Amino acid sequence: MITLDDYAPIVGKEVVGQLHRLAEHLQGRRFVHINSTAVGGGVAEILSWAVPLLNQLGLKTTWEVIMGDPAFFDVTKAFHNGLQGFKVHLTPTMLEHYQKINQENARRFSWEADIVLVHDPQPAFLIESLRPQARRWVWRCHVDVSRPNLAVWRFLREIVKQYDASVFSMSQFAQNLPHPQYLIRPSIDPLSEKNRDLTEEEIKAVLHRLGIKKDKPLIVQISRFDSFKDPVGVIQAFRLVRRHTPCKLVLAGGEATDDPEGPEILAQVQEAARGEPDIQVLLLPPDAHHEVNALQRAADIIVQKSTREGFGLTVTEAMWKGKPVIGGAVGGIVLQLRDYHTGFLVHSPEGCAFRIRYLLHRPEMARRMGQMAREFVRNHFLITRHIRDYLTLMILQDNPDSRLIEL
Amino acid sequence: MTPKLDEVAENPFGFHECFLMPMPLGKKVVNLRELLESLREIDESVLFYHLIQSRLAMGYPLVEYPNDFALWAANALQDSKLAEKLSSFDPFEYQNLMLVRQAVVDILEEYLWDLHVVPWARPGFEFHFCQASVVVMHSLISARTLKEFCGALTQVGLDSIYYHFFEARWRLGELKSDDFSFWIETNFGLPELVTAIRDLDVYFYSLKEVRETLAGLIHQHLGEICDHPG
Repeated sequence: MITLDDYAPIVGKEVVGQLHRLAEHLQGRRFVHINSTAVGGGVAEILSWAVPLLNQLGLKTTWEVIMGDPAFFDVTKAFHNGLQGFKVHLTPTMLEHYQKINQENARRFSWEADIVLVHDPQPAFLIESLRPQARRWVWRCHVDVSRPNLAVWRFLREIVKQYDASVFSMSQFAQNLPHPQYLIRPSIDPLSEKNRDLTEEEIKAVLHRLGIKKDKPLIVQISRFDSFKDPVGVIQAFRLVRRHTPCKLVLAGGEATDDPEGPEILAQVQEAARGEPDIQVLLLPPDAHHEVNALQRAADIIVQKSTREGFGLTVTEAMWKGKPVIGGAVGGIVLQLRDYHTGFLVHSPEGCAFRIRYLLHRPEMARRMGQMAREFVRNHFLITRHIRDYLTLMILQDNPDSRLIEL
Repeated sequence: MTPKLDEVAENPFGFHECFLMPMPLGKKVVNLRELLESLREIDESVLFYHLIQSRLAMGYPLVEYPNDFALWAANALQDSKLAEKLSSFDPFEYQNLMLVRQAVVDILEEYLWDLHVVPWARPGFEFHFCQASVVVMHSLISARTLKEFCGALTQVGLDSIYYHFFEARWRLGELKSDDFSFWIETNFGLPELVTAIRDLDVYFYSLKEVRETLAGLIHQHLGEICDHPG
């Protein structure tokens, strides 16, 4: 089992010591997380490591997952798209179904908590039924809500207003709400299967298994097959690069159980890649962490050409592996990639193609950028910082009227 | 060994740790005129966040702009001239936040006065206001001697350096002083070392650099390698 002390060689002993000291003030607190999927997607990943570590620190932390039928996830996907600014059509029947599924889930939950952190809109309505079961309710929004669709936000706002606080990943996402809003950036676990160091043999074995021959520079985008990740735009960029420089593209994505649009987008991507032997499209199972790790480490350049992005943990993962990353200038990617320093930001397939060519022709710049990216992640986006933020949030929730708390 | 390194202080230095939680207000501006108007009205805690606290929230590597306003002018307005003016401005030269606010407002007002077109941010690059809640905690790490102090500097987090070296300037109400030099001065004298610490151009130092520089200064003035816990 991984313990907090295992992170000391990576982040420094002083950082781990701090977590223990901070947690001393929260011993025995009951902390419940609720989301809508146990595997797949950034939220489930964060919870899979955060919950054990918070327990090690002496907080009684549990993770609950709500269940829903396909119709429910169609509604919540519409919420997701609407929050990210797309026009969606919500009918009263859809909204009633969303509420009904939440009420059914509420009947299963008997926990009591000092603080409950409800992740994203799917389980947000639980507060209607379960309010007395927790002292403080905090809504954690992982989605890019910088320009939400008004109809969707109007509906969700009435639910979110009932919470004691909200947490967003970027200040751009904060809303006009009647309670305190906090900023907690997501993070990655450097010791997880997805991010731990791999040997050359391990990397080669995965490439062999996936049928990837590394005979040309390798460009990789890892992300779910989702229109906001713009996989078709990446293929366009790749075709532009190929006019000038030989290279290969791997688009590899997992599936999440709460995303009904995945198969349709995958079909579009396969169509766009048809007839091009240097493009490989890989559908990976949600637990293919080892394969993702190896692909990222094998890559010469990593792309994340999203058109909307809550934060972009795949960017963080790539940066941690010391890779030069080219990302869409949206959401949390902007926070992570500083042009010419920790990566490149682009606005179009043409821009993406240009930066790929730039990096392919300037390996020294690519190496320096990767090193800087890794240090940036070490300082800001590893789980120890995330745990510290959770602990700080809990202390602040113990003292809701105070902005300066001296322990 | 230089006697001062092992001399015991009358009052041990108790390191505090400081946990900052940024709180976005959900309020943004899209152009320079809106920024100016907002700066006249926003809470001082917001000003403090963008000028001082944000270095603890997110320190970018090798970024030449030392505060959020200058960074925004450069990245979002793509106005290097304004970014230079806002970078040269040093909030530690003013006695209180009211004067700091007036100084920033003056810079923006003068700059806008001569412009024919108000600079606008690119879409998605608006300026979003934040403030912060802070949890301060005794770290249980303390130093009775300068040798212990050097060791402790490496044991505490960078937030502790921030708290004692940056935030202290406002807490103590003496902008040239900080907790570290104050403790050295009142317990050991050492006027040259104290002056050297206070003369650091801190606005351009990252927290990590401050930590290294302090250890370096003590080493330089006391002739003892300051890299092991006392």
